[in-house]
Amino acid sequence: MTLMTLLLLAAALIGIGIYGALSQQSFVMLMMGLELILNGVMLAAVAFWALSGAGAPEGQLLTIVVMAVMAIEMAMGFALVVAVFRTNQADVTEGITELKH
Amino acid sequence: MIFNELILPVLLVTVVLVVGAYLVAVIDEVIAGALGRPSGAGAWMAPLAQGAWLLNQQANATEAPDWRAWRLAPALYLALAAIGLAVVPFSPTLIATDLVTSVVLWGSVEALATVVIFLHGWSANTLLALIGAYRYVALGLSYILISMFVLIGVALPAESLQFSQVVASQEELWNVIRQPLGLPLFLIVGLGMTFWGPLNLADSRDLAGGTASAVSGPPRLVWNLARAAMLVAFSGAAASAFLGGWLGPWLPGPVWMLLKMLAVLAVLLLIGRLMPRVQPERCVTLMWVVFLPLSFVDLIWAGVEALW
Amino acid sequence: MDYPLIVDVFFVLLAILAVVSGWRVFATDSMVRASFFLLVSFIAVGVIMILLAAEYLGVAMFFMMAVEMMVMAIFMVMFMMNPAGLNPMMMVHQHKFSIAAGAVSFLVLAAVALLAEFPDNPLSADIDPVRSLGNELLGDSMLIFESAGIVLLTTMIGVVVLSSHNGRYGAAEEGSMPPGLVPGGDPAGMPEEEDEGGGHHHCH
Repeated sequence: MTLMTLLLLAAALIGIGIYGALSQQSFVMLMMGLELILNGVMLAAVAFWALSGAGAPEGQLLTIVVMAVMAIEMAMGFALVVAVFRTNQADVTEGITELKH
Repeated sequence: MIFNELILPVLLVTVVLVVGAYLVAVIDEVIAGALGRPSGAGAWMAPLAQGAWLLNQQANATEAPDWRAWRLAPALYLALAAIGLAVVPFSPTLIATDLVTSVVLWGSVEALATVVIFLHGWSANTLLALIGAYRYVALGLSYILISMFVLIGVALPAESLQFSQVVASQEELWNVIRQPLGLPLFLIVGLGMTFWGPLNLADSRDLAGGTASAVSGPPRLVWNLARAAMLVAFSGAAASAFLGGWLGPWLPGPVWMLLKMLAVLAVLLLIGRLMPRVQPERCVTLMWVVFLPLSFVDLIWAGVEALW
Repeated sequence: MDYPLIVDVFFVLLAILAVVSGWRVFATDSMVRASFFLLVSFIAVGVIMILLAAEYLGVAMFFMMAVEMMVMAIFMVMFMMNPAGLNPMMMVHQHKFSIAAGAVSFLVLAAVALLAEFPDNPLSADIDPVRSLGNELLGDSMLIFESAGIVLLTTMIGVVVLSSHNGRYGAAEEGSMPPGLVPGGDPAGMPEEEDEGGGHHHCH
């Protein structure tokens, strides 16, 4: 467990997350991709905190902030899904084409 | 070193869980007998007989279940009970894992239990099991919130998130007296997360057994064992958070701890036999409108008390 | 910083678990299973955090993500067809582009991990991570922490506004139609509309 291997793992998680966020049609699956990206980000932050930053407390703070961001992303995402479903009966990204114009 | 860090903790958790789960069944039989339910075999033999019977039964199959999740869920619930018990201190030194954030870990055991119970009901692919699973999710989220606030209240005077420090902080006065609202609220959480007695809404009779309605044979035995084991783990957490854990005169610490756990178990099982089951929709209102504000009051009480 | 062999072994196992379950999220048919695979990935990362001595963050990850993924699974069942994954399903767009984007971002980040020089300042032994986090949250960085709280409160209000039944233009379902059972078909689950006059019925 070195900084390099930890960052490689974080990179793999972020890569899978980017694939998911870009490829999934369903809103909820798309959000799962975003969550996976944030998972990698948190791991990288903790790895830097523990192995490169000599335990500077801001490293842990960053992870807490990312967790808050995740909660906000989930809540807003689901609210938007509900709102879009109410008006357009759509649960896939192709369903809201009027955003294009 | 290997003995102290690996074998002893595993042995401690296993023995307490297995013996504790057996005692839960025995105490439940005794209480049922005292309340007038006729029992065939004696209270000591009945759980063993039922266990042996379940072990010999055939495991039921439903149409297109999610096999892996269905078989794993009881084992995972048992594993969560073991994790919960692993952070409970039996004496200042006799702790399976003395994690610095053990109180938070207990909170996450409750949260993960929600997932496992949902999985157990969902993966069976039958109607009543699925209703039980959704019911537990709706209620489980409210139990978790109450439990969090009550446990933060306990951690405040200890100035630590560690169960051993929480027990040590009760040297002068137990938390059950210092924070009178805490223990009753926590007992409600315990009944909820093991869906026992009045709060048995996930596996209740009105759903013909709920999440366990389609399970028989050895998986059913593991599920029943896991529920009893979770009750034991919960009694350990309650005894160390509110009843002063290993603290007590004359007797050695671990004995006090076991006695307190037995007392909590007896109270829970008595409530389980005496109280009628709450209506699910009324239960949600009760949790959010009555018990959650009460847990805020408990937390403010603990905060003011800690500042005094 | 050198970790004992057992820590390295566990790290490798957890890393494989995190990546494989992260990949399974987008490869499984069942939406409920997908969200629980994501939970497994989060738990593996949480355990790695505990191995790195971030005891609070690792454990916080467990309970945060357990509740989040539970809620996610419920939403999956509400909004997706085929939540149980009884039929094979693949709902993707711009698939090749996404695979390329994921691979490229992995390669770039991996190159950073492999080639960049980072200072080697491991955690000192006398630091108490939980206490240091707490002092930071309610000390120097209190403003950030409190702003996060305010943003969460704003989120709650925004979420209620967005998802509540009544909007500025009247009730939410006004003017909306349920989707048809076949593409472009009649709205499903709507009763046949009666003629305004009542009285007379069409006979065929």
